[in-house]
Amino acid sequence: MSSPPDRFGPYDEHTQPQVPIEHYANTVLRNPRRAPFVRPVTRSELTGPLDLASKLHPGDINLAVLDGKPAQGQLIHVGGRILDEDGRGVANTLVEMWQANAAGRYFNPLDQRDAPLDPNFIGNGRCMTDEHGRYGFFTIKPGAYPVPNSNRWWRPPHIHFSLLGPASLSRLVTQMYFPGDPLNAHDLLLLSIADREAQHRMVSQQVPTQQIEGEWLGFTHDMVVRGRHATPPLH
Amino acid sequence: MTLPNAPLVPTGWQTIGPFFPRTFFQEADNDLTRLALDAAPTTRGETVILFGQVLQEGGGACVNAVLEAWQADAGGRFRHPADPEASLADPAFMGWGRAWTDAEGRYAFRTILPGGYRDATGTRAPHINLGLLASGVMRRLVTTVFFPDFAAANGADPVLGVLPAALRPKLVAVPEGQRDNCRAFRFDLLLRGEADEETPFFLD
Repeated sequence: MSSPPDRFGPYDEHTQPQVPIEHYANTVLRNPRRAPFVRPVTRSELTGPLDLASKLHPGDINLAVLDGKPAQGQLIHVGGRILDEDGRGVANTLVEMWQANAAGRYFNPLDQRDAPLDPNFIGNGRCMTDEHGRYGFFTIKPGAYPVPNSNRWWRPPHIHFSLLGPASLSRLVTQMYFPGDPLNAHDLLLLSIADREAQHRMVSQQVPTQQIEGEWLGFTHDMVVRGRHATPPLH
Repeated sequence: MTLPNAPLVPTGWQTIGPFFPRTFFQEADNDLTRLALDAAPTTRGETVILFGQVLQEGGGACVNAVLEAWQADAGGRFRHPADPEASLADPAFMGWGRAWTDAEGRYAFRTILPGGYRDATGTRAPHINLGLLASGVMRRLVTTVFFPDFAAANGADPVLGVLPAALRPKLVAVPEGQRDNCRAFRFDLLLRGEADEETPFFLD
């Protein structure tokens, strides 16, 4: 395996979400008043678990079919690469994803919205990136849904991602959006990131249909986790 | 124009939201002593239970929070290339675990009392790093748990030392008897409160 990154700078705050967020009370109740303390980076932050497969069991990459029966909705493939800040593919990253069904409802007892559940759609998956940092899932396009008690804020269709990379400091939890959705421009979570380019990078790109042989739509989405190398890559 | 070797910008964080899949959690995910559900626990070190309650502003329970723990083995080593002594690390110790909070905000981990180590920053006291994710937490909240057994080492720890002295005891777990025939340590987290109550967090 290639060496993991060894340099981790602080995030650029303009490219990361700022709280509180209007109509999202938990962004007040659950975020500290006090600014976080700046600590030195020690070995326990530079390291992380490299063998999560035995514990978290990746391999569930087709969400669109359950027991041989297809889920409702538009069949899509979502894939791309996990990169570090030097643009190197990050192998052996555990990728977790979860999403609502085509009607915008989650298979989760906490989602009690009056929208239909799909008996053939659970909506979560896991995989491990290959040696080039690539990941991919077949699924259906999630629906939008309104946020309760929010003055009619609707979440645009989105997919949640959780990445467990080669160091504690390369942990990332994010959401992926779909290109061209009019709700994107009004989404309070996307807008909590000030930098417009950073917002734009959280929107996936549609693969031209001519490049796909099967009957699904394709979306590519690369995600960048923190970490640089003392030795820069050759170009 | 992108310059050669100009860094890519890390992707923006977002909250896990209210619907992190319950089916992602399996028995023993919160057990750091085993590599897998069907693996034998490590035999090196003292098994301990770390437990506590996660509270939000006003003292209410923070339900459905996800806590992730990462720590060195009993000898203070990591099975990772960034540890020069990785080859000596305990091959049967996972060192990572994940727990989620119940309706009262309670969590628990089963682990090994970690060892300390020396690196370029100084001498780290035995500690467990915790990351917390929850609906409304837009970026992971990170803090570190220390143990009362190592008062002298805690006093010299380069991370604990960045806190004002009055706040340092907040990151030291409290012994609270035995659970499952192991010593148990309590570590509660208050995500938002008055300055003298809130748990200290570190910039991730």
